[in-house]
Amino acid sequence: MSRSPVRESVTTIGRDGTRRFLQPAIVIGAWWRARRLVAWLLIAFFALLPWIEVGGFPAVFLDVEHRRFHLLGATLGLGDVWLLFFVITGWGFLIYATTALLGRIWCGWTCPQTVYLEHVFRVVDRFFEGDHVSRAKLDAEPWSRPAKFLRRGGRALAYLVLCWAVAHIFLAYFISIPGLYPMITAAPQAHPAAFVAMAVATGVLFFNFWWFREQLCLIICPYGRLQSALIDDDSVIVGYDEKRGEPRGKAAPGVVAGDCVDCRRCVQVCPTGIDIRQGLQMECVACTACVDACDDVMTKLKRPAGLVRYASLRELAGGRTRFLRPRTLLYAALLTVGLIVATVSLLRVQPAGFKLSRPPQTELYVVSADSVANVFRAKIQNKDDVERRFFVEAEATGTRLTILNQSAGLIIAPQAEVTLPLTLLVDRRDYRGEFNFTLRLRSDDGKVSVLQKAHFIGPDPRTLAR
Amino acid sequence: MRPSPMQDDEQPVIMPHSYDGIQEYDQSLPNWWLFTLFASIAFAFVYWLANFTTGTLPDDRVALDAELAALEARQLAAVKDLDEATLWKMSRNPTTLAEGQAVYAGLCFSCHGPKMEGIKGVGFRLNDDLWVHGNTGMAVFRNINEGVVFDGKPTGMAAQKALGAGRVAAVTAYLLSFQQQGRMQAIDRTKEPSQLTP
Repeated sequence: MSRSPVRESVTTIGRDGTRRFLQPAIVIGAWWRARRLVAWLLIAFFALLPWIEVGGFPAVFLDVEHRRFHLLGATLGLGDVWLLFFVITGWGFLIYATTALLGRIWCGWTCPQTVYLEHVFRVVDRFFEGDHVSRAKLDAEPWSRPAKFLRRGGRALAYLVLCWAVAHIFLAYFISIPGLYPMITAAPQAHPAAFVAMAVATGVLFFNFWWFREQLCLIICPYGRLQSALIDDDSVIVGYDEKRGEPRGKAAPGVVAGDCVDCRRCVQVCPTGIDIRQGLQMECVACTACVDACDDVMTKLKRPAGLVRYASLRELAGGRTRFLRPRTLLYAALLTVGLIVATVSLLRVQPAGFKLSRPPQTELYVVSADSVANVFRAKIQNKDDVERRFFVEAEATGTRLTILNQSAGLIIAPQAEVTLPLTLLVDRRDYRGEFNFTLRLRSDDGKVSVLQKAHFIGPDPRTLAR
Repeated sequence: MRPSPMQDDEQPVIMPHSYDGIQEYDQSLPNWWLFTLFASIAFAFVYWLANFTTGTLPDDRVALDAELAALEARQLAAVKDLDEATLWKMSRNPTTLAEGQAVYAGLCFSCHGPKMEGIKGVGFRLNDDLWVHGNTGMAVFRNINEGVVFDGKPTGMAAQKALGAGRVAAVTAYLLSFQQQGRMQAIDRTKEPSQLTP
């Protein structure tokens, strides 16, 4: 490897803007083994989750078509989508909090981009095209050589099959395995939308893993770009112990040298093409490849490992990492608040939906000989998997409110929705002007109790006086 | 760092100018990034040609009309076989009546009263033989399906979308089950309002 990375420009982008492909070497070390184990577990988790059934539905089934979301046995409707707020903010917050403590653990260990690229697609690379030296050689060869054509073609084919499989698993989260299987066995034109989604997903994945690779982390990923705001001197990062390593080079009589022998192994193995010895850089996804590489060299030289290691900037400067600091304490406090609110919200999710609106093209209110009437349209959704009998009742207010014919209740099939008009009557003698009231949707088994506030519209009571 | 042969080549160039003491590197954007810019400009031009100039792309309005027409055709197909005789026959069929009663109890009661006695100012009574908007089974069916205009204003009845033609037919049959064929009387509410009090 002849080029040396510089901090001021991106190694994978040439001066003229052309893409430069890296062929990083592989070092099988302790961190690499641990990361591979995590990656396999994550891939297995992703691939198996759609097959596991909880309460008659897949454990995670985002049924977009029917606007129902099955999560670990719970069924959420479109009206519960606001709970996504907790998922999205919680996820982001967790990543931020982890970053403050442990740096880009997410990138190096769990991000799908790293997991699939490092532990699936680079394995394919090595299988078809050999180690980094022969891959670089193959890059330089002309396409007219059949060896290159065969090797790279075989690799592309393997990529395509893998991307195709991942796309199918991804799709299974939205249409479930029982929904996916008939689509796989049927002709593509029988389910054009699903087929196009699958084909596009396959294409995007192929492009990403074949060509785009680290460009996603360097230029597209917003998380990577936020690092300078998320990491401080006490965050544990992958860092080079400059005090121990410098000055680098070979010790000789009269030449003082640190532990770094400048073998450039850490640069060779870097998947984003940086030199970790230049300090913390935005491109570093904390994959620990350089840690393994350096430890390997240090062990061979019979020097202590850990010249490149997980350490905070403060520790590398000779201090001690402080894990308890205002930032982490604040994160912990906010996380606790968020968890409590999310749990309470989740527990309060009702297996039924209840919405009130006024039907279009009707009078706002009707005054008859003995009552004032408002007509509402109630949308009642049974989100559960069992049939229920529902009742709508008026909560006690200052004004006595009668709902016409609700005594029998309304039986709604599982996962069904019924729109029903509700006529609310107030006796003219009780009517004291417009008022707010609350309706309660209740089920006969007591599992449902949803409140809905509304406003009763009527004339000025003085106009009703006889 | 030990300089390598290519290193000078790799060192980024600093632009000669300096503003307020701030200088900048002369770095290229990635070509793939620039490509997205040029590709979207090209796409905009193609889209403008196809959608606004030559009209090669299908018009949204045409697609909407086609879909609405298909919907109407489906509904018409469901209604096609329906005639007066069928409705009256349905009105004596217990299965149909059970369905019609369920529809009535779920929907119609709120304006026409639980016992079809009507709610003054909201909905006419339906348990007598006086009919304002047509005195045939088909007229009742059409009224439920499409709604009626009352005092110059459409009412909220048009139930075709909510129920579908099948259930509208069922609830029509349910109403007819309280009537005798040929005995439904047409009435002009402007002339005989007294007869309409629920």
